[in-house]
Amino acid sequence: MKLTIGHLYPNLLNLYGDRGNVKCLQRRLQWRGIEGDVVLFSGGSRIDFQKVDMLFLGGGSDREQELAGRYLREMGGGLRDFVESGGVLLAVCGGYQLLGNYYRTPKAVIEGLGLLDIYTEWKPGRLVGDVILDSPAFRSPVVGFENHGGRTYIGAYTPLGRVRRGYGNTDEGEWEGLLYKNVVATYLHGPLLPKNPEVCDYLLERALKRKYGNAAGLQGLPDELEHRANEYMAERYRKGERM
Amino acid sequence: MGVGFRSRLAVLCAKCADCLIRRLKIGNGGSFPGYVAGLVDPGILGRLAGMVREKVIVVTGTNGKTTVTHILCHVLEAGGKKVVSNRTGANMPNGILTAFVLAADRDAYLDADYACIEVDEFAAQEILARLKPHCMVVTNVFRDQLDRFGEVDAVVDRLKGAAEQAPDGLLVLNGDDAVSYSLAYGCRNPVFSYGMGEAFLRNEPWVDVSHEGGQNDGGAVRENAVCRLCGEPLAYDYFQYGQLGSWHCPNCGVGRPEPDCLAGDVVFRKGEFSFVIADFKGSGRKSPQGGKKGLRTEKAAGACHVSGVKFAYNVYNVLSAYSALSAMDAAGNFGEAMRNFDFGNHRESVFVIGGGRVQLHLAKNPMGFQQKLFFLQEDPEPKDVIIQINDTDLDGRDVSWLWDVDFQVLGNVNAKQVVVDGTRRYDMGLRLKYDDISCDFLSDFQGTVRQLAEQGTGNLYVIVNYSGLYRTNRILSRLQGGYRHEADHRTFVSESAQLVR
Repeated sequence: MKLTIGHLYPNLLNLYGDRGNVKCLQRRLQWRGIEGDVVLFSGGSRIDFQKVDMLFLGGGSDREQELAGRYLREMGGGLRDFVESGGVLLAVCGGYQLLGNYYRTPKAVIEGLGLLDIYTEWKPGRLVGDVILDSPAFRSPVVGFENHGGRTYIGAYTPLGRVRRGYGNTDEGEWEGLLYKNVVATYLHGPLLPKNPEVCDYLLERALKRKYGNAAGLQGLPDELEHRANEYMAERYRKGERM
Repeated sequence: MGVGFRSRLAVLCAKCADCLIRRLKIGNGGSFPGYVAGLVDPGILGRLAGMVREKVIVVTGTNGKTTVTHILCHVLEAGGKKVVSNRTGANMPNGILTAFVLAADRDAYLDADYACIEVDEFAAQEILARLKPHCMVVTNVFRDQLDRFGEVDAVVDRLKGAAEQAPDGLLVLNGDDAVSYSLAYGCRNPVFSYGMGEAFLRNEPWVDVSHEGGQNDGGAVRENAVCRLCGEPLAYDYFQYGQLGSWHCPNCGVGRPEPDCLAGDVVFRKGEFSFVIADFKGSGRKSPQGGKKGLRTEKAAGACHVSGVKFAYNVYNVLSAYSALSAMDAAGNFGEAMRNFDFGNHRESVFVIGGGRVQLHLAKNPMGFQQKLFFLQEDPEPKDVIIQINDTDLDGRDVSWLWDVDFQVLGNVNAKQVVVDGTRRYDMGLRLKYDDISCDFLSDFQGTVRQLAEQGTGNLYVIVNYSGLYRTNRILSRLQGGYRHEADHRTFVSESAQLVR
């Protein structure tokens, strides 16, 4: 078995250690004896969406985000078809905002891809800090770090999780991220997947199922260190330490 | 000129506070006196800065601020100048004010020819509004403490705001850095630039250039793939490290400037760089590029040879310090003075503990950490490595940046044992797992240092991020002292024994 993971515009969207997520997808396949190919797509290169099983879209500054959006729009409906046909996509931070209709900043309105009927508004006061989420999709809490000026309004979509600690999509609500078909979109940046192996396996399972039909459940891995890193953050919050 | 009562009182209070802190050994001596002085006289920083006889130079940017400031002080003092500076690296408003008030006399007079002040990027605007410097050096802008700064763009915006506070001040910019050089666009300040005349790391075996757009990984992390004027992708002829290199925008035509000070003829031997800086200030020359034929210095207004420089980033630090001094007409004795400059500045310290050598290194952002790993690779001897990663406010609370460092290098440094410590030790351990490096988790720092120094390879590297630096330095000093005392004691005992016999 083999999955191809496309990393979209790593030269533009590479804030906050995003490539850790791509590494995680690849290694957790390899550790199970499944091939994981990573293809880097740079601006202007054509993407054959038939040939990729998973896509990662990371975060960048507004300037880079705008350019990435333009590249994706130039490719027509390819990404939309990929998503609608159950292609696995992880979008983080700026990538998450880009999937929506628009992102309004004080300087400009960045046109989104409109794959999801959501929008983002910039407001003063960045939402920065450790985040802990409870999600019915996962046994362990989802832990990570957020750092964004935009507030994303997701309407009736299913959120990724309920915020136990942190801000999430907006500073008013209690929800973070979004799940749609096989898309996971979230503000939790950087090494989201390494520390939340369940989220990684959730994505891998869906990609394997889409490609190979009813693939048997993924083989377990020795995730002791992963769980310690995850539990350390959850534990620290429980103890009431500064986060 | 009479000094107001208020300023005199402020200086007096600050000196008392300083005295008290020293006497009682409490609190933060680096910034509290300044805090007190500012309470008594809010305008005192501007007043004291105004008493500097020649030039006020500020240094800011992501990496190299402290080193560049130390070089400036060293060279100026070697030339007989009196310099006020925040040498300890306390670069926030109160730290800077502390340096000024403690340098003033009781009558609040400041006797100084120069002020060389390291300034935090975030606080630069506030500080420059009061200091009104003659010169602002920006070393570079890399990603650092993004939880504090938001995005790299926000740092550039802050620095832009700072430059506007002192529109007559000369901006000394790194022309090889497309990010920080963008400060030159549309600013009112006169601009002076520096850069390397050649890709000086390309042929060095310890620099892995295969990162560039490597197909199996995200490649080296660089800022600024995009032109900051028109938003189109930039093109590079070559990279040095990070985004530093020879860049231009194929769309709108901006690019790396023709530098006023150009370094070239770089030779790397026995772990040290030597190079020549050609000074083209006001020479009206065109395209003095170095490259394969070597640096053409005949048209330069001056040239200066520097050697014994460890770490590639210090080549840039020396160059930016030289450029600032050249721009201020004070670079006269630079080459001579640099011969006895100590780059150590307590961030790289060497200790002898239990007969073993222990080196303490600071690595607080991806670029810095990567350079340290390359440095470890240069030492072929077997070694042990302790990595301590904390996430206090001082360090930055987000440790995602660890994923921007290529730790595969750590697999090639002949490390016998890697031990991980700090509040985020599990994040660090997990990061290493992804580069197939196994590590142990540390529970007792002192015990582990002793054990590795005595029974390990006797060649221990301790890499810490910011908040661990001073504490670790103290512990290592104490361990070193402890052994020395033990040794003295043994000598004393054996001598006494001989006497008895």
